Amino acid sequence: MMLSRVAENLYWMTRYIERAEDTARLINAVTLMSLDMPSEVKLGWDALLKVAGVNERFFLRYDEANEADVMRFLIQDEDNPSSIMMCITMARENTRTFREVLPWELWEWVNELYLFAKHELPEHLERRQRYELLQGIIRRRQSIVGLLAGTMSRDDAFQFLRMGRNLERADMTSRILDASQAVILPTDSPAGPQLNDLLWMNILKSLSAYQMYRRHVSVHASSSQVIDFLLKNQQFPRSVSHCLGEIVDVVQTLPRSAAVLKVVGKVQDRLRQADGTQLAGHGLHAFIDEVQLGLIAINQAVRENYFRLQDLAQRQSSTEAAEAEE
Amino acid sequence: MSIAWENYQVGNAFDELVAPDGQPRPLARGLCDFISGLGAQELSGRAAAVDAAIMTAGITFTVYTEAGNIDRAWPFDVVPRIIARGEWERVAKGLKQRLAALNLFINDLYNEQRIIKDGVFPAEVLADSKNFRTACVGVTPRYGVWAHICGTDLVRHSDGQFYVLEDNLRVPSGVSYMLENRQLMKRLFPEAFARYHILPVDDYTAQLYDTLAALSPRPSQRPVIAVLTPGVFNSAYFEHSYLAQQMGAELVEGADLTVLEDDCVYMKTISGLERVDVIYRRIDDDFIDPEVFRADSTLGVPGLMRAWKKGNVGLANAPGSGVADDKVVYAFVPQMIKYYLGEEAILPNVPSYLCMYEKDRKYVLANLDKLVVKPANESGGYGMLIGPMSSAEEREKFAALIRDNPRNYMAQPTLSLSTAPTLCDEGLAPRHLDLRPFVLQSNKLNVTAGGLTRVALRKGSLVVNSSQGGGSKDTWIVEESQ
Repeated sequence: MMLSRVAENLYWMTRYIERAEDTARLINAVTLMSLDMPSEVKLGWDALLKVAGVNERFFLRYDEANEADVMRFLIQDEDNPSSIMMCITMARENTRTFREVLPWELWEWVNELYLFAKHELPEHLERRQRYELLQGIIRRRQSIVGLLAGTMSRDDAFQFLRMGRNLERADMTSRILDASQAVILPTDSPAGPQLNDLLWMNILKSLSAYQMYRRHVSVHASSSQVIDFLLKNQQFPRSVSHCLGEIVDVVQTLPRSAAVLKVVGKVQDRLRQADGTQLAGHGLHAFIDEVQLGLIAINQAVRENYFRLQDLAQRQSSTEAAEAEE
Repeated sequence: MSIAWENYQVGNAFDELVAPDGQPRPLARGLCDFISGLGAQELSGRAAAVDAAIMTAGITFTVYTEAGNIDRAWPFDVVPRIIARGEWERVAKGLKQRLAALNLFINDLYNEQRIIKDGVFPAEVLADSKNFRTACVGVTPRYGVWAHICGTDLVRHSDGQFYVLEDNLRVPSGVSYMLENRQLMKRLFPEAFARYHILPVDDYTAQLYDTLAALSPRPSQRPVIAVLTPGVFNSAYFEHSYLAQQMGAELVEGADLTVLEDDCVYMKTISGLERVDVIYRRIDDDFIDPEVFRADSTLGVPGLMRAWKKGNVGLANAPGSGVADDKVVYAFVPQMIKYYLGEEAILPNVPSYLCMYEKDRKYVLANLDKLVVKPANESGGYGMLIGPMSSAEEREKFAALIRDNPRNYMAQPTLSLSTAPTLCDEGLAPRHLDLRPFVLQSNKLNVTAGGLTRVALRKGSLVVNSSQGGGSKDTWIVEESQ
């Protein structure tokens, strides 16, 4: 038996904590990428803000997106609900509310991640320290995933954690793909094609996908192949298709799953029709928009079906009342 | 460096472990020798290990301050308190007797009110009771029991006797700390356990489960039990979560529950609505049902009272139990025991002066500097005047309060709470204690083996409440034939 409120808190707890990890990976990858780019290529720090979906909020406060402000906003800022620090704080607060359904140590580990972030993240984070600290956050988050994988029964609570993680991941992957548009490549430059490869290689790196891509697809990072890999590969755990497959597996273990499965199925169908070569030419942005709307629809369906219970069991209750009278 | 007990200064109060001549009491000899053998450094080292264990396990309570709520680690003292089993059995018998009488009293008040008609209990006390719930009139819960979980505060006076300080019949807390304290002691001082035969305490959660399960309206099936919490910001949230986990019950908030037209209570789960049989509610009466009590409450469940009155859900403690959790009503408990059970009270009350009576009031007003004055319906040590430590200004304020609303105040002589050696900055020093055993009643009566010993960590302080700087100790009920 799983309370709707607890299920919702579990779902959001992993979404927050996955978002913290993904943001940390993204920042590390983009920082490395910026070192490779020739000076004539404009690497917009605001692209990062767009990927994180916080550009509007950022520009309420700042006039321009320089590295220091963007980093502070994405990592430490308490006014940014998606900053790494805030995601970890929210995940910790959520964890307090369902300690009784999780392995007892989980709270200690989440607490430790929080204390690490709280104490180790200085007000001004230098580029030099940034990489190590963000790696520290990623490693701690990964040990939490490992703890759950190794000690938690595959019960409803586990499935809601898994669902939140995969939906957040699919979301981040699609956002990062979209960010490829944000880097303006000089089309007339002789280094154009080479730069293009560099860009797609870094997109893969920001999702920790580069090595697996090289092993299973190609040593060259061409746009069409990377798009196909990140959207459609079934085996890579951060591809959108893989995440949706996980969500289907999760939902199939849950009661009353038909409505949600239908919504997920639609997004899966759309992905199957996608063609990397075609999308690399044009239409990637529009397609990603469609995927994003699909993910929003899945979130909505999960919410309506499991978290915001209508009094749909009215019939069930009247049968029980009849029994009670006997 | 070993610890010399000769340096331990027993004050005027009764000390639980050390006799006035500075020698350990016979039953405490083994413990005191063990502590001396450890030495001061080892003892401090183990105390630090206990604190670290408490921190990582997140055994916390919340303190409300103006600056916001602070989650504090539970302060724990490593020196246990020892009570002989023979003595404890008498106390336990007295506690059961007391709760049985209190439950008969509550049931009587909400039904025939025989005790008032027979002139044993004054009608005007009832008339002014804040916690008498008219919505409960005419109800007789299963077994006639209203207060299923009672936390009785006991103190040991300098005469060596246990006295009842108050009966907590609404939502007494602290039992999870009693259980955790024992776990901590076992982990960190296993050798001490080898020297004594100590009664275990961990059957409490199973007994609590049985007490609650016996209230199920559907006795033929495994009952669905829920612990109703106000939420994560409540000071006792740790305990709510702990008890739910230990009993395998669901931890729910008001919004997780709904009462349908069939007047049954349901939980909102991912599979749909699931009927709830028994609710252990850790929310005050005022907030449990906005249809009946405070309409602005968002913590409760609209319709819960309807469901309870129809017998479709068990509620522990029953709404309205607080009528007997009133420091003026307290003064009448010995008479209740006599009236309902035909017995003399085994555990004495602290002598009490009721300001509603003119003679008592005059005495209280004339002796404010010697007495402890308590409002009838506060808990957690709030709103009290401790005469010997008060300023003239505070006494004046209380005199005005008493004259204004005499029924709301009672006074007691300042008791000398017993002490026990407690690890402080200056080493082992006496600190004042009380004891909160937990008594359970539905179809059976049970008392914990010991209870939660709370200790005032500040030198000379008599206030043991955790919200005001109190800590706790493990409580050992031990066989005497060691």
